[in-house]
Amino acid sequence: MYMWLNISKEVKWVINTILIYLGWVLLLIGAVADLIAAIGLNRFPKFFVRLHAATIGTIGGAFYPLLGVALIAFGAEFVGPYRFFMGGAALVTAFLILLLAPAGSHALARAAHRSKLVKPEPVVVDHLEEDGGGE
Amino acid sequence: MTLEPGESTVITMLIAILPIFITAYILYLVRAIRGPTIADTVLAIDAFFFDVTVFVAVLGLIFKQPIMMVVAMLFALWAYALDVYVAKYLERGEMGD
Repeated sequence: MYMWLNISKEVKWVINTILIYLGWVLLLIGAVADLIAAIGLNRFPKFFVRLHAATIGTIGGAFYPLLGVALIAFGAEFVGPYRFFMGGAALVTAFLILLLAPAGSHALARAAHRSKLVKPEPVVVDHLEEDGGGE
Repeated sequence: MTLEPGESTVITMLIAILPIFITAYILYLVRAIRGPTIADTVLAIDAFFFDVTVFVAVLGLIFKQPIMMVVAMLFALWAYALDVYVAKYLERGEMGD
């Protein structure tokens, strides 16, 4: 990555070290968020409450660690000559998850409400029940 | 000046992460099996496969096989397809059009 920049070997070491440790910290944050989301998914009482835990599990538990994997792949030279392919694919997958996970959760919640599979209770006012969600 | 962490150090750091992920996966599967409704099961399977994506990516770093990232991307897309199909089936009661 640095051959056209003409920088010294020490600067290259520093950049690789920063990338690896930053990626590892992101991976650790993602693992802890994943564990919290799994505990919440088991402890929360109802489906519409469990959606909050699932949000932590997808954004905090999949988006951040994939950014960390991308940084580690950019920094770790032992992975081989194809590590930039791996880092780029990890970035693309991270942004796919950032776009697709909320859309999927929202579609699932709306379908569970409209098909009356899950009753939203306790509830004060339910506009989606009254006007059918704008249809 | 050996500041950069070596290969064995990075791989040890990555392997130290994996038990946290595996504990979370077991808890996700417990919810997927216990789920009272089909929506709970699909939500747990969805979150499970978004995190299997991360697990496969970390395994690709550990085994030094960058081609495993392609499989990880397919896992993410498959989880989204499962969400949308189940939502369509619950809402309309058919899968035709």
